Amino acid sequence: MDLHRSILLVDDEARTCRCLAQLLRNDGFDVEFAGDGAAAIARLAHQLPDFLVTDYAIPHANGIVVSMFARSRNPNLPIVFLTAFPEPCRAALLNPPAIVLTKPLVYDDLLRILGPAAQTPHTRRAA
Amino acid sequence: MKPETPFEELKRYVRFDEADARRLHAFHRVVSPHFQDIAKQFSLRISEHHNANAILSGEDQLARLTQSLIAWMHRLFQGPYDQHHYEQTLGIGDAHVRFGVPQRYVVVAMSPIRLAFDQLAERHAGRDAAPLRRAIHRLLDVELAVILERYQLAELARLETISETQRGELHRRLQRAEHRYANAVELARVLIIGLDPSGAIRLFNREAERVSGFARDEVTGAPFIETLIQEDLRDSHGAIVRDVLAGKRVGVDALVSSVRTRSGKYRDVRWQLAFAPPTTGTTSVDDIVLFAVGQDITEENARLERAKHTEKLATVGTLAAGLAHEIRNPLNGAQLHLAFLERALGRSGADTEVLDAVSVIADEVRRLASLVTEFLDFARPRPLTLRPVRLAERIERAGQLVAPQAKAAAVTFDTDLPDAPLEVDADPAKLLQVLLNVLANAIEALAPMGGGRVLVRARRFPRTVCIEIEDDGPGLRNPDAPIFDPFFSTKPHGTGLGLAITHRIVADHGGTITVDSRPGRTVFRITLPVRSDHAANPLTAL
Repeated sequence: MDLHRSILLVDDEARTCRCLAQLLRNDGFDVEFAGDGAAAIARLAHQLPDFLVTDYAIPHANGIVVSMFARSRNPNLPIVFLTAFPEPCRAALLNPPAIVLTKPLVYDDLLRILGPAAQTPHTRRAA
Repeated sequence: MKPETPFEELKRYVRFDEADARRLHAFHRVVSPHFQDIAKQFSLRISEHHNANAILSGEDQLARLTQSLIAWMHRLFQGPYDQHHYEQTLGIGDAHVRFGVPQRYVVVAMSPIRLAFDQLAERHAGRDAAPLRRAIHRLLDVELAVILERYQLAELARLETISETQRGELHRRLQRAEHRYANAVELARVLIIGLDPSGAIRLFNREAERVSGFARDEVTGAPFIETLIQEDLRDSHGAIVRDVLAGKRVGVDALVSSVRTRSGKYRDVRWQLAFAPPTTGTTSVDDIVLFAVGQDITEENARLERAKHTEKLATVGTLAAGLAHEIRNPLNGAQLHLAFLERALGRSGADTEVLDAVSVIADEVRRLASLVTEFLDFARPRPLTLRPVRLAERIERAGQLVAPQAKAAAVTFDTDLPDAPLEVDADPAKLLQVLLNVLANAIEALAPMGGGRVLVRARRFPRTVCIEIEDDGPGLRNPDAPIFDPFFSTKPHGTGLGLAITHRIVADHGGTITVDSRPGRTVFRITLPVRSDHAANPLTAL
């Protein structure tokens, strides 16, 4: 049985976000996305993904705030910043640190970080 | 015929002749018994006058005076009136001068003596009294003249001594002033150059030597404008200098110009041109009429230039950061959709031409993305995080990173490093970026030649470390090209920012980067200050 790893994608560029989600789904990931910080936090409060991939400059709450909320739920949650504005993300005091990717994203770089979608028994827990 | 002596001349003047001499001689017998009395009267007269008395103080001196007065009177009447007599009378004059007897007493003191002789002549000479008195008067006048001669001589000597002393004093004062001014001119940290009316250099101080590289012997007498002013400024700036030389511009004229040094380099100098002809007498050809006082502002200009550059970059940087955000997002959309397209086409078995077209777009997007990144890097550099860095390790790492590129271009990579470890305070990542940029540059220059050799050399100097990256490529087409300027590129796919970033990083470290290029040998020379604690300790700095 396929145990898909789940990703929460946070970006306010809906078209691009949909495209990336499609690429990831094609590669076997479970992807959900949020268009702003508030929606992301609401989603995270409800259910924690295996990965958080978030932009920095998003409406309502920036990517770092979203990350800090996510880490309050799961202190080891892997986080990837995908941003046009890498400096503040690099400076964010997250432990363990987040990975920062600068836009435009080279899709294969993200894949390498996420690892194979359906190989290892994941840490997915019931919400 | 022998020339007339001054004494003979005086005797001739008063018509003192042999007959007079005989009359006096004949009268000696009569007059000599009165000498003691006359001398006594003379002394009394002196003692009545406080001023005169003050000079002839003491019994001894008075007795000596009496003796010499008597001796003189004997000579007066006995003669002979020859050179010896003359010299003895001069001796009396000398004594008076020596004792400081004022001249006026010498003259009036003769009066009682003359009267005494007159009375004696009247009383004892009978009919001969008149000619005898004439003879006495003539001789006394001559004697007085001779005595006073000494006063004149003494006065001259005195004046001589005074002027000698004054000259000595003046000379010493001149020497002191000269020493003072010479030192002020020599030790001043400004260039001081003096020009004569033709514009030739007559004064060239130490700072002028230091800045220009010329020794003063080399330039003294040489025309200032042609020797020191940068070639292309000679007409315009030379005209100003010539105007000042001609006194056509009053006051002090400021002139910012460029000095061509002995080694052919240029230094920016801010001159003050002061027209200052000698205030006394006429101007001669080698008088200094113009003082050019200059300050080397090359460093200052460079600093200002850097500050202006930084300021401009800060503005550009703020704009760029905003713009980068706006560019990266659409690029992200394009790139992700391209990835999607690439995969979809791959699955559907599209032909390679279509796939190639898609990958060209992907490449172009990546190029745009790296341009944005590099531009931001250049315009908004992240602050340095300095820590001690071992240079050899950085060079080795850079070598490893460019190894694939070097291998592909058939370029060999060598290092020449000192045995002692070289440490600098640097941002390790940025230092690596500098090395990578320059190395990549060298490899790219060698690639079209079918390969070559890159040599990295590092040397320790007292306050700096110098890294040289040398290649045997074709060199820069134009050695004066502004290769460190942003967007200057000779490569078809270059962003034109690589070396600008390199330059900036080196400058941020307080270092310099220069290039020296000719066909077959191009050297990038990076100089970085050594760790400050080393520099502060003279023992380790040596």
